[in-house]
Amino acid sequence: MLGICQIVPGPNVTNLAVCVGSRFCGVRGAIASVLGLSLGPIFIVILLALLYDHFSYLESVRGILRGISAVGVGLIASTGLKMLKDEFHYPPSLLVVVVVIIAASYFHLGLAWVVLIASPVALFLAWHKAKR
Amino acid sequence: MPTLITLFLKFSAFSLIAFGGVNALLPVLLELAVYQEHWLDLQTFSDYFAIAQAAPGPNFMTVTLIGWHISGILGAFMATFAIIWPAGILVFFLQRFILKIQDPMRKKTVQYAAATLAIGLVLSSAIEISLQINHGTMAFLLSGITIAIVLLTRWHPLYLIGLGALLGACGLI
Repeated sequence: MLGICQIVPGPNVTNLAVCVGSRFCGVRGAIASVLGLSLGPIFIVILLALLYDHFSYLESVRGILRGISAVGVGLIASTGLKMLKDEFHYPPSLLVVVVVIIAASYFHLGLAWVVLIASPVALFLAWHKAKR
Repeated sequence: MPTLITLFLKFSAFSLIAFGGVNALLPVLLELAVYQEHWLDLQTFSDYFAIAQAAPGPNFMTVTLIGWHISGILGAFMATFAIIWPAGILVFFLQRFILKIQDPMRKKTVQYAAATLAIGLVLSSAIEISLQINHGTMAFLLSGITIAIVLLTRWHPLYLIGLGALLGACGLI
């Protein structure tokens, strides 16, 4: 089930919530689990945004946010790198990763274009990988 | 109101191409919100990114905060709903279809292909976002240290967020 949610675009957590929720109670289950998962955090984050509006003039608050965003960037990169480790079992698939990075970060193509260009290569290599 | 409609339509479209989740989508969100539509400036975007990272819950909170910035509670919910519903409906119908695929070859092919796409998108997102919101050597150093700690140890990310906040509060970043 986790596998399905990883191959579908969109927020992974809510996709997983749809899968799990619909398993138990169809459409209503899916909606309930998505709501249950996101309502609380949405209110918390809005509360934080209110605090931010009041205190963002403080130099220390700005510093804290700069620090956290630098860590956040590192966290995202390490998610990608962790997944990348598995790809070394079949090195040709690294080509897809390189194509995507060049198309997105060097040529600054739109996300839809990147996906369009890279997915034939990705499918072709994945087919070879699966055939082994 | 037209802004909210634009936001809703664009975010709904993004939902369907966000392979690798919302983290992979961040550069696109930044490009749209900061440079195309001028909904917020770069500093506010990176602050919202930081708040979203520190807040508990799903990782799409940057989206929620962009909506909040545009039109308060309504905007926050509208933006969040927009990023969730298309992918949610897609996965709802697709899960049965995918579970029915008997041929393990086809199943694996789709799975492997999506994984490599997601990796590429997440990594290039990290590169682009870091170039936009990391200012100065110390910020890049901290991102690098974060990567090293995550890959080499079993620290919970929350400790790293705390470390970043502490270093930032001391005015080091």
